[in-house]
Amino acid sequence: MAMVSTTKTTVFSALIASAALLLPSAKSAYADAAPEQAIVGMKYLNYHDSQSGDTAQTAGMSRDRINVNALSFMGMVPIAGKWSIAATFIEDSITGASPAYHSSGFPSAAANHDASSGASGELRHAGDLTVTRYFSRGTLSLGTSYSQESDYISRGVSLNGTLSTEDKNTTLSLGTAYNSDTISLDKPAVVSSKQQSAPGRKKVFSGLVGVTRVLSKNDIVQLNFTYTHGHGYYSDPYKDPDVRPDHRNMYTVMTRWNHHFEGPDGTARLSYRYYSDTFGVRAHTFDAEYVQPLSKGWELTPMVRFHSQSAADFYVPVGPAELADPSTPTPPPPGAAFFSEDQRLSAFGAFSYGMKVSKDLGRSWLVDVKYEHYQQRYNWCINGHGDPGVANFNIRDIQLGISRKF
Amino acid sequence: MKKSLILSGASALFLMSMFNLSGCSSVQPWEKQNLAKPEMTFEGDRLDTSYTEHIYSSKEGASGGSGVGGGGCGCN
Repeated sequence: MAMVSTTKTTVFSALIASAALLLPSAKSAYADAAPEQAIVGMKYLNYHDSQSGDTAQTAGMSRDRINVNALSFMGMVPIAGKWSIAATFIEDSITGASPAYHSSGFPSAAANHDASSGASGELRHAGDLTVTRYFSRGTLSLGTSYSQESDYISRGVSLNGTLSTEDKNTTLSLGTAYNSDTISLDKPAVVSSKQQSAPGRKKVFSGLVGVTRVLSKNDIVQLNFTYTHGHGYYSDPYKDPDVRPDHRNMYTVMTRWNHHFEGPDGTARLSYRYYSDTFGVRAHTFDAEYVQPLSKGWELTPMVRFHSQSAADFYVPVGPAELADPSTPTPPPPGAAFFSEDQRLSAFGAFSYGMKVSKDLGRSWLVDVKYEHYQQRYNWCINGHGDPGVANFNIRDIQLGISRKF
Repeated sequence: MKKSLILSGASALFLMSMFNLSGCSSVQPWEKQNLAKPEMTFEGDRLDTSYTEHIYSSKEGASGGSGVGGGGCGCN
């Protein structure tokens, strides 16, 4: 009974938070129209993450973790005013390592040499293709995706549709997707208890229903609900101790609001997402950015984000023995069927800030640069109790992009 | 099961209320020039969004919300 009451309260709070973003009284959607121009673009990402031992419990845990260099390409071509084809391709190069448990248990330097210990492969390639048909009051999109690295393959298909009212002020969105993943468990870096020749498999089905509504000539809002059902191999092959359930159902409620300010000709973009899954993770995520066009084709977009999540039901916090000696993980509770010491399943709050600067170079060329700094801390969690034995986690990333319309 | 029923019911109620929101007038086509700006759409920079959402979903316990489709990875 207490669990249902807690669920009702949480859902109610999420809906209230969504409603708060819908408060400007609705006067009266914004339907996708067939694009008029083709576009090609390229973007480079330089990503670096690390952990910092800033407290008495985590002193000595500071170290670099993962570095990623990625290059991606995209192209979109309209066809005959009623169709478009869009494709993206990405190559990631990953070096470094992640902890096997909490903020410790990094592989040795020798094991690190092949850059796959604790990280899923050295190189990842992924691509997706989407074909869209435009109707007078809606769209239909068929998409396919493929991602491959040395120990993980993911394949997916999706179908998305939109339908607008005659005045195009309200748009209904429906979407469904299926993903099938194959996880190699015979790599040398896979922990010995999980080593096997047969790969792990995971199948994920997801659905979305959403509404987009034009509220005024300067306001547009969107409300989306998604449900995801997955079953298969969810444990992490490189983490130990780590045994996770063989299914995971996820729900999200997301509200987005874009408001244009006529005076400065700027636009505020706000969003809130509530997330809940059967692992026991509950999360609230707030995003805000402000797009300000300036003279001579310059545009600035500062942004902030706050994310808070509770821990998974089977998360095992750092125990006293591990605090004293991080070389040995905390034993799971006796008889526990599921357990994990993955920091990503702990309770924490994460705050990030960033800035994007873009410049219209004329002749349909656009360049942009974006910087973001992100930090996770156990004591920033607003909906759970964080684990003080886990070090702060930091991300710094820079993106450089260029695009052209035809 | 109870959680999914509660969430589904709340979702349906909210969607219906979105459709029923009506004011004195709706926005006319000739008033939509600001709504046509790229920053007023919900799509955004496709490659930027792809990188950013990939980073957040591989380093946090939550993911998704704005769409379905797209591939997974063994990101650690």
